[in-house]
Amino acid sequence: MSALKLSHVSKRFGGLKAVSDVSFEVPERSIFGLIGPNGAGKTTVFNLVTGVYDFEGEITFGGTPVAGKKPSQIAHLGIARTFQNIRLFQSMTVIENVLVACENTRKAHLWSALLRSPLFYKDEAAIRKEALRLLEVFKLDKMADEISTSLSYGNQRRLEIARAMMLKPKLLLLDEPAAGMNYGEAEGLKQQIRWLRDEFQITVVLVEHNMQVVMGVCEDIHVLDHGETIAHGNPEAIKKHPKVLAAYLGEDVAEEGAGSSAMKVLLSAADKDAPTNPSTSESAP
Amino acid sequence: MWVKRSLMGLLLVGVALAAEAGLATVIPDTAYRQLCMLAMINVVVALSLNVINGMAGQFSIGHAGFVGVGAYTGAIVSSHIHQSLGAHDFAFVSSFMVVPPSLIAGGLVAALFGLVVGLPSLRLKGDYLAIVTLGFAEIFRLLIATSSPGSTGIRGSIAKLGGPQGYAGPLDGGIAQYAGPFWVVGAMIVCIIIAWRLKFSGWGRALQSLREDEIAASAVGVDPTNYKVTSFVISAMGAGVAGALWAGMRDGNPTVQPEQFNFAFSFDAITMVILGGSGSVSGAVLGGVFVTVTVKMIEQLQRLEVVEAFKSTHPEFDLNALRMVVYAVVLILLMMSRPAGVFGENEIGRWFRRKQAEA
Repeated sequence: MSALKLSHVSKRFGGLKAVSDVSFEVPERSIFGLIGPNGAGKTTVFNLVTGVYDFEGEITFGGTPVAGKKPSQIAHLGIARTFQNIRLFQSMTVIENVLVACENTRKAHLWSALLRSPLFYKDEAAIRKEALRLLEVFKLDKMADEISTSLSYGNQRRLEIARAMMLKPKLLLLDEPAAGMNYGEAEGLKQQIRWLRDEFQITVVLVEHNMQVVMGVCEDIHVLDHGETIAHGNPEAIKKHPKVLAAYLGEDVAEEGAGSSAMKVLLSAADKDAPTNPSTSESAP
Repeated sequence: MWVKRSLMGLLLVGVALAAEAGLATVIPDTAYRQLCMLAMINVVVALSLNVINGMAGQFSIGHAGFVGVGAYTGAIVSSHIHQSLGAHDFAFVSSFMVVPPSLIAGGLVAALFGLVVGLPSLRLKGDYLAIVTLGFAEIFRLLIATSSPGSTGIRGSIAKLGGPQGYAGPLDGGIAQYAGPFWVVGAMIVCIIIAWRLKFSGWGRALQSLREDEIAASAVGVDPTNYKVTSFVISAMGAGVAGALWAGMRDGNPTVQPEQFNFAFSFDAITMVILGGSGSVSGAVLGGVFVTVTVKMIEQLQRLEVVEAFKSTHPEFDLNALRMVVYAVVLILLMMSRPAGVFGENEIGRWFRRKQAEA
């Protein structure tokens, strides 16, 4: 059973084919990597899955087709995501950011809010408790009432994941979660992603440029270049795949065979079991 | 909780009754009493516009249209009930049979228009709402103002609303004006409570998130169209209630005229919201009072002998235009010192708390 399945998905922006005939399946409870050079169409795939754009082909989530659904409906199906450039609700506090993510799961909340019925207070207390519990998991509970933009970059990234998790998703799409992280932070992120998957029993798909994270945590990797699939397989196979090397390092280099050594340097971090820097390590419990 | 609620309700009724009984004693001058009630009605206008312009972050510039719809509806309903009651004076006891239906009708009809206007325009991103609301308000006003009794069909029915001279009840004897201080104060307090509860609820949070980042909000399950249309309908409904109150205000203008709902009124409403602070309930209250009083003060100034004498020698000098100058100056000063309005998005309580913390 696959959590997410794309078959022959294409997306055109005017004359540009951003995604062309991409098919892959994400196994349930796996950690799946979607990689490729800049402009390969990775984020576009995320946008297609979450309903931001319409597309040709078929995308199903746990058997349900997502085509024609609005982003908010897809969120309710159980697909949560983060964004490449952090998109928090800036003027809102940390806990409010998380609270928004369960707004539509409550029934008739406009009336209960207007009447301030006992249900309203019970509801509000329950979701606050749940949000605090999630914030605690992401070590953000101490700053629950701070304005979200006052958080450090790393904390903002984690807040975005916390907000996504408040939706109780079955599938979590992470768009460059390691962007701007140093070596130690990226190591911590690897542990967090695995822990998220195990603790919440979810499937994780990540778009990432940081090979240390991708090779270290993904079980399956799908490689795109110029909107087309160029490779699919486990990290070991991807590392040696000639087309991947060509896409990342240029045709000539790969053909001459010098690329493989260069790629090895690029990917070496993933193999190395380097010690974590305790001061910057931000692993989840 | 229910005991507390009931006590609060009783207190509210008590305050409104006290206003009914005492306002005439406290403010003996009819003009000032009218100003006071008008300020409270404008608070309702500002509160309702604040829902869509402040909380939801959309830009509606035709609020006068919805106030007008409410005013005409309220006037028609109250005048007809008054007629069927066979009553001659606007007794307080019979106001209970007239005012609630007229307020409800005004609110509902305006809400219906809000739905019709909001549904197509709020599905689109961009400035469509501003264009459509402006168009709606102008169409509403001009349709009534340009209708003549001789015409047939729909235009003939619209002509029954009195054309440019205004609507003055079914027998042209003036609108039934039952809404005394009790109703005005009561409606204002109820609207403040509703606005407050809307803002400080999950619903208000969802609106705020939409205003901050629509893409992120829809990615966490907030449907933009749904929330925007709902808030627009609520906003229109509030405007309708304010309009009905305004038409039925005791000692008020006995006719409802289309010219009263021109663009200047929509502009005033926007000024109220921005001046007080977009998204702030306290700000809307402050803005509503401030704008009403400023307008009235300039009107009073115009009646001064010095000004009258000055005007007779300088006919080109129009003080009504000066109102715009005063607004502009106040708004510029405000935007320089407090760019987000007097309260910003905060409420009066928070402002006090921060002052205490600073002290």
